[in-house]
Amino acid sequence: MAPASTGAPLPGGAPWDVAVIGGGNAGLAAALAARRHAGRVLIVERAQPPMRGGNTRHTRNIRCAHRQADGFTTGPYPFAELWRDLCGVGTGPGNERLAELTVRESETVPAWMSAHGVRWQPPLAGTLHLGRTKHFFLGGGKALVNTYHRAAARLGIAVCHGTTIEDLLMTGDQCTGLLTADGVIRARAVVAASGGFEANIGWLRRYWGDAADNYVIRGPQDNDGRVLAALYAHGAARAGEERGFHAVAVDARSPRFDGGIATRLDSIPFGIVVNSAGRRFYDEGEELWPKRYAIWGRNIAEQPSQIAYSIWDAKVARLFLPPMYGPAQAGSITGLAAMLGVGGRAVAETVAGFNAAVRPGGTFDPTRLDDCATAGISPPKSHWAQPIDTPPYYGIAMRPGITFTYLGVAVTPQARVLRTDGTPLRNVFAAGEIMSGNILSTGYLAGFGLTIGTVWGRIAGAEAARRAHDG
Amino acid sequence: MPMMDELFTEAQRQLNICNACRYCEGYCAVFPALERRTVLGTGDITQLANLCHDCRACFDACMYAPPHEFAVNPPEILSRVRLAAYGRYASAAHRPAWPHRPAWLHGPAWLHSPAWLHGPAWRHGRGALATAAVGVAAALVALTTLTGGIGALASHRGPYQVIPYPALLVTVLLPSAWSAAVILRGMARYWHDTRGPLGDLADWPALGRALAQAAGLRYLRDSECSYPGADRSPARRRLHAAVFGGFAACTAATLSAAVLQDILGIAPPYPLLSVPVIAGTAGGLAIMAGCAGLTVLKRRDEPPPGAADYGLLIGLGLLALTGMLTLLLRATPAYPVLLVAHVTTIVICFAVAPYTRFVHAGYRFLALVADNVERRRPG
Repeated sequence: MAPASTGAPLPGGAPWDVAVIGGGNAGLAAALAARRHAGRVLIVERAQPPMRGGNTRHTRNIRCAHRQADGFTTGPYPFAELWRDLCGVGTGPGNERLAELTVRESETVPAWMSAHGVRWQPPLAGTLHLGRTKHFFLGGGKALVNTYHRAAARLGIAVCHGTTIEDLLMTGDQCTGLLTADGVIRARAVVAASGGFEANIGWLRRYWGDAADNYVIRGPQDNDGRVLAALYAHGAARAGEERGFHAVAVDARSPRFDGGIATRLDSIPFGIVVNSAGRRFYDEGEELWPKRYAIWGRNIAEQPSQIAYSIWDAKVARLFLPPMYGPAQAGSITGLAAMLGVGGRAVAETVAGFNAAVRPGGTFDPTRLDDCATAGISPPKSHWAQPIDTPPYYGIAMRPGITFTYLGVAVTPQARVLRTDGTPLRNVFAAGEIMSGNILSTGYLAGFGLTIGTVWGRIAGAEAARRAHDG
Repeated sequence: MPMMDELFTEAQRQLNICNACRYCEGYCAVFPALERRTVLGTGDITQLANLCHDCRACFDACMYAPPHEFAVNPPEILSRVRLAAYGRYASAAHRPAWPHRPAWLHGPAWLHSPAWLHGPAWRHGRGALATAAVGVAAALVALTTLTGGIGALASHRGPYQVIPYPALLVTVLLPSAWSAAVILRGMARYWHDTRGPLGDLADWPALGRALAQAAGLRYLRDSECSYPGADRSPARRRLHAAVFGGFAACTAATLSAAVLQDILGIAPPYPLLSVPVIAGTAGGLAIMAGCAGLTVLKRRDEPPPGAADYGLLIGLGLLALTGMLTLLLRATPAYPVLLVAHVTTIVICFAVAPYTRFVHAGYRFLALVADNVERRRPG
């Protein structure tokens, strides 16, 4: 059957050896890995080509262990250190065995990506602090998706765009096909790589209540967890925490869905953050920003009305990436508060109290944990604390921007989906965000979502191809 | 110029998104240059537009490209800014307002830009061009009466037996001088708007680097351009190199002919194994191949409305074609007619050069110089 490129469903005909649900990083890795062992591989992608790739479109780097610097990283990042970093976020890995497998397999990922056409950004180009722990691929996630699609086309992998999987057709522990609006796609083995449910506000409300209405979803609206819900209905076991997600602070003016990277804010460590009552609530200078940016989504989600305000002054205005929509700007703190819609008196009191608590004599240095700290206020600001006293003053209202959810399906080390009774489904595999809860519990390690997707995509694809042959 | 403002406002909107994202910073010089700026004025945007070599890599990589609601498409908007700048810098400083704009012209705002209406001559004045060509040809034919008329030449003797040397010299030099003046004035305006003091141009390391980058097509090489499709390919770089090298070879052929004639006193026609003929033949063939290839690429492209101008490619291709035919058939009775056709092409092409994409060479070079100056002196 000729590969369909624009969403024509592929009912009838011989069953596909491997059908992959989802054309993001995990799904593409699964399809490319499956094609090494299986003849007929199909990717079912929900979006049309310009918007394909799900959350992967918004990614830009991948965290992999490597023994030495390789031209695209600045130094070694050994297995043990990545393992330590992973154990240090949140409450540690959900399933240590699978987490360790992820870290070990990550060592071969960059070479595998290069072999499929991915290009890398040299570490010294540009102003972002490219580093030792992450590989930055040239152009970011959409370039990655398009590169993998070209590799897939060369290998004769079929792609069905614009097609939504409504359900899996199951006979006992065996999946026989995928149900679409236009018919059934028959397959010998299936890889579910369809992401989390972060764009399903109704689902989020089950765990977060009304607060979910104030969340900004950074990825596409397609990520509604339809396939995840179908797997649960067919007896799949849960992995990960219901309230587990990766969220960052984004501009409150962001679109509800798919605003991606451009609406996130990096101003927080340079000033203070107040809530709708005008009060500070968390140490803005706790850690270097790349290590702490992921905590602020949740911080804001826990504030009244799920909103907070980042405030800084002219001294630091050019030290971080300029916000897409531009900040509010005023000559006085009360003027700024009025523009932001927060109580001017409360904010002015907070700023005055903060300024008075800044210990004099520190040397401000945004590139390291400097000695500029507060004394005698709670919460403290542990680093980069400078009085906010130089007009114009700037501010931006922020919302929690949900990147992806962790609640997913439990899997075996072969990526087979486990049922609640502890037995695996025979020919259904999972990769990427839909099973990230096996590895991440709470908290996030930048670049690790793609590591999970690539590692588990490769495992799921290879195992699915084997299953298709063994019958 | 309000329409200009609209174009810049849209470019500013898109580039602010780029500056908040920065995923493309590894592709070319545009994004690092953007990152050095927090405020984008019209000069900044013009400079960024001329740093863009339209490789489309950022479009392929952009998750905010249409149909995303952010509708980011840097190659397209920068191409519009570029074309508008070509028109603006080539035109008289205080141009009279367009007298009457027909109702059917009301469409997207950028269409109203004076640069679009007055701009590239071949788009808005094909008739005028044809008339001018006929006029020039007629004048040249009239000039041949000084040598006995165009039909009087039975066999090939040399160009000045068709058109007298002083007449030919003046005919070609006039449009050349005009073009050089307009182009240099445009370049000075460009530098003034984007970088400021002309003194900044005297930055020898920056000039040297820019020259090396331009001659080596550094950015086309780096990006392995994916224009016009999504697959990276060296085709555009090779074709561009053919046109560029061919143009240089033809210039060398002309200069060497001048040396032979005016210094060594050897009158044309020159033998097949002479510098002018060899360089001219190689250059002509390269230009024709390059222009044909680039035309094919352009036709495969899905250009933004109005941006698909073939003027430069057609002009250069015709120059090379008539030149080659003149050379090839110089021993036949067709020679006088072909010579008149070639000289007519030269006159027309040279005269309209400042209003075609020919000027991109100058602005692109200045953009590279400014970029190198900036890198050395950030802020």
